Amino acid sequence: MKSVAENYRYIGKAMPRMDGQEIVTGKTAFLDDLKFHNLLIGKVLRSPHPHAMIKRIDTSKAEQLKGVKAIITHETAPDWKGGLPPIRLLDRKVRYVGDVVALIAAETERIADQAKRLINVEYEILPAVFDDYEAMKPGAIQLYDDLPGNILPLGSDEISGATWATEIVTGDVEKGFAEADAIIEGGFAYDNIPNPISIESPAAVALWEEPDKVTLWVSNHKVWNNKRLLSPIFGDKVQIRIIGGACGGSYGAKAMSWQVQCYAAALSKATGQPVKVIFSKEEQLGCFILRPATRLNAKVGMQKDGTVTAVAGSWLVGTGYYSRTTQIQIAVGCGEAMIAVRCNNWNVKPSIVCTNRNASGIVRGFGGQELKCALIPLLSLAMEKLSLDPFEVLKKNFVKPGDGYFWRNAAWYNYRGIDYSRAMDEGAKTFGWKEKWKGWLKPTAVEGTKHIGVGVGVHGNADVGEDMSEAYVRIDNDGRVVVISGLTEHGTGQRSNVVKAVAEVLQLPLEFISITPGDTLVTPVEWGPAGSRGTYAILGAAISAADDAKKKLFQLAAPMLGTDNFEDLETADGIIWLKSDPEKRIDWKKVLKFRTVIGHGRFDEDFSLSNCMMSFVELQVDTETGKIDLLRVVNATDVGKVIDPHGLEGQLNGCLGSAGIDSAIFEETILDPTTGCILNTNLIDYKWRTSAELPVIENVVLETPIDSHRFHALGIGEISTSPGPSAVLMAASNAIGQWLHEYPVTPERVLKTLGKSMEKKQGGSL
Amino acid sequence: MRSFTHFDAYSIEDTCTALGQYKGRAQLKAGGSDLLSILKGDFLPDYPEVIINIKTIPGLDYIKEDGDFLRIGALVRLIEMVRSPLLSHKYSVLVKAAHTVASPQIRNVATLGGNLCQDTRCWYYRYPRSMGGPLQCLRKGSGSCLAVKGDNRYHAIMGGKKCFAVCPSDMAVALACLDGRLIIAGPRGERNVAVADFFYPLGNDLAEDEMITEIEIPARRNPAQQNFLKFTLRKPIDFAIVSVASVISIEKGVCTDARIVLGAVAPFPVRVRAAEELLIGKPVSEEIVMSAADEALAGSKPLSKNAYKVQIAKTLVKRAVMGSTD
Repeated sequence: MKSVAENYRYIGKAMPRMDGQEIVTGKTAFLDDLKFHNLLIGKVLRSPHPHAMIKRIDTSKAEQLKGVKAIITHETAPDWKGGLPPIRLLDRKVRYVGDVVALIAAETERIADQAKRLINVEYEILPAVFDDYEAMKPGAIQLYDDLPGNILPLGSDEISGATWATEIVTGDVEKGFAEADAIIEGGFAYDNIPNPISIESPAAVALWEEPDKVTLWVSNHKVWNNKRLLSPIFGDKVQIRIIGGACGGSYGAKAMSWQVQCYAAALSKATGQPVKVIFSKEEQLGCFILRPATRLNAKVGMQKDGTVTAVAGSWLVGTGYYSRTTQIQIAVGCGEAMIAVRCNNWNVKPSIVCTNRNASGIVRGFGGQELKCALIPLLSLAMEKLSLDPFEVLKKNFVKPGDGYFWRNAAWYNYRGIDYSRAMDEGAKTFGWKEKWKGWLKPTAVEGTKHIGVGVGVHGNADVGEDMSEAYVRIDNDGRVVVISGLTEHGTGQRSNVVKAVAEVLQLPLEFISITPGDTLVTPVEWGPAGSRGTYAILGAAISAADDAKKKLFQLAAPMLGTDNFEDLETADGIIWLKSDPEKRIDWKKVLKFRTVIGHGRFDEDFSLSNCMMSFVELQVDTETGKIDLLRVVNATDVGKVIDPHGLEGQLNGCLGSAGIDSAIFEETILDPTTGCILNTNLIDYKWRTSAELPVIENVVLETPIDSHRFHALGIGEISTSPGPSAVLMAASNAIGQWLHEYPVTPERVLKTLGKSMEKKQGGSL
Repeated sequence: MRSFTHFDAYSIEDTCTALGQYKGRAQLKAGGSDLLSILKGDFLPDYPEVIINIKTIPGLDYIKEDGDFLRIGALVRLIEMVRSPLLSHKYSVLVKAAHTVASPQIRNVATLGGNLCQDTRCWYYRYPRSMGGPLQCLRKGSGSCLAVKGDNRYHAIMGGKKCFAVCPSDMAVALACLDGRLIIAGPRGERNVAVADFFYPLGNDLAEDEMITEIEIPARRNPAQQNFLKFTLRKPIDFAIVSVASVISIEKGVCTDARIVLGAVAPFPVRVRAAEELLIGKPVSEEIVMSAADEALAGSKPLSKNAYKVQIAKTLVKRAVMGSTD
């Protein structure tokens, strides 16, 4: 392994990000910085009711306001539909507080806001349902006419036509339970629907040119996917161009920006002018993507040696008022459960329910984090019963070479990756697990009212090889190289890594290589970063393209160097030479003269590898106030080969936020049970950790070569949030000596569990 | 934000006259850290037509001892209180409280007067217009308190009536503990009111043409043991879930004087005299302090989701009196 690493010129070397200096000096132009001629501002009027029919909507006063260019309502909106069930972009029925009622385009933001206040809407208010269980009951309020019980179908999405796994059923669970030494049954939830809150709000600028051409400038990381989502909405006749640029974070959620993009497009279509729609922070927190809610009712069987013999139960996923990707998240979540829990007998049946709240959708951890946060606490009860060390049990049960799993497409994959046990052992050593683990429900240390506890969690994802990537590598006759890629940056530095990989293959100085903007007019198809696929899939396509370009260049050079076999050649720094006679050499420029060569690379999906991360947490609970302080986190992983040390560290340090570890401590979206309003649509009441109180984070990263591409690397960033929340629950339970089973572990929940907050409601008489 | 007229004020008299002329349609702006979020959220029934900047009024930014009183101008910024040697020496509860407010950026602009006059943090009251709001409630003139049947985890555990929002000001709690009084100027002359009496469940004691000009505190001979503890989920930024200010004099192990004020438990700072009396004349032992803490919360009437605040408040009383720093 070491000897391979030493040969790299760029891979694994810490170097500044290509775009780093511009970002930190404020030169980078984000979407809101872009200048357009005749730009209009688009705004959204939103519903005050969680469930209502629009009886009448009067826009006449608003239309008379000087500077208002267009107002679109359900009566005038194009018949664009998306999601499951397919909902109109503007519908006569509103289904959550904040649902879209009208779109306004105006010359300035102030005029648009003023126009919003002049629109008069008459609603027929309908009863609403907010609780996932309530929504499934017979006679419950129906969100859609054709969706009895508010239950969405599993197994398909309206875009890809692909088949998604709908369950985990394999083996014989009854036999499995018969073989168990301990059987635990219970209900566990991870339903606090946190919001990943990228720094930059969801936004888009659209320019619709009649009759059927639309260009969108977006602030997300998936330009080709945007195009793929919008195409069936706008119709085949419409020519769509998506231009990506700088992106102030996504954490998955911005991959679902179709609504904000359609708002801008519809307003531009109506006005003939470019229109910018940027969600406010309130809108991002109240109308954008939340994590799906999970409620698991299940039974697990375990043997004395930690073997899991059976898992059976029902997994209810609350998706809010509609779904765009929840079906896929369930499919991935099921596979991720199988990766983390080796078990021969499964019978887990998921279902998706709609309620009158803002929608759930893509958030890193994508289904698996949600299921795992409920499943690991259940397994923990079995471990407690058998006095088993959770580190040993989780290590034993993580997928090993020779195992397999059903992945999201319901197909079986034989796992051909590495055994992550060594990384887990190294993590445990760094953390001091052996010394700190005192047994179930036993604190590691007690000082007065401060009880310290430890916990551990694990996660792995085979989406590291999901979907398709393509790239071109163009070698120009000046000896410089352009990587033509639809990859848009979203904060991880992956565009720099693509350049690095191409530079490594071509042995060229980095400054000789440029990468195109992520623009669908220019680049080949690219699924974009998701599920940590960047390292394997995106780099894989770029490496192949660079190889292909190099081959074509060598084919041109071979006769000039007196050989008919291009494999006899080698190159570095723009010079090609004969391997057998390095004195025979030629400059790229001379080979190319008035010619360019273009190499093409493609990556096709491969679900036979999985990444892995184990997180150890140490925290302190104040048993008199119920306050939890996170003291230390150790993340352990093996990435095959580090591409970008700084970038990797940043990704692993991201375990706290974006609906990760802190979703077990204080991050939650608070839905008012009476009005259906999300009460904490601001960063005071939505508890986002500030940089003033970061815990110690240590990352243990091993490099055991993985059979991916030539650099033997596998991505990890996406899942860094996933093992933490259940580890926090475990640690807090151990600290106070009693089981805590709800997320987040608020002071109220700690004190209640300790029997210190037993007062009945007495106040509140109006 | 909507349009408004903005002008600078140069005297207290002019400010009060202008406030009177605009009859509630004008708002004072000092640091603006609360006002701007109100204007952006646009959740109040009436949007101000005029914003009067009072930072331009000279001479309201003093901290001085003047015979029997400590006097603090209403425009003193919280950062100046944090850095004041005089306050650190004899009125450290003010320094400690000021230091817990928000973040350095906000303390650099926020004033003491503004901290006392900031509007409630109730999330029903502040539910923004852009998100399908605003929500109506009694504090806004119609309807009833939405928190009673809703999510009231941060609301009052005592003293609520018609509205169950808590007083969000940390400084009010510390000032009440020092028997602070607010000097209020208006067209009818100057008056003063005890800090604890300034706040009502539905608002505060200011008439629409009045402003706070100064906070007057009886000068202390000895600093005694002053403490301010604030319980939050996050150390910076957050408003108090519960806070406690205390000033305890101890001679030879025996408590000779005690002042304890609870914050964020009621629409106003709550001085807990029964608990203080329980301490005075007794040795400061954990047992006695615990019974004082129980006494302090004896009258609490939690709502459906905030009984945990009772336990936290008791803990904070105990820790404040015992001189703990967290």
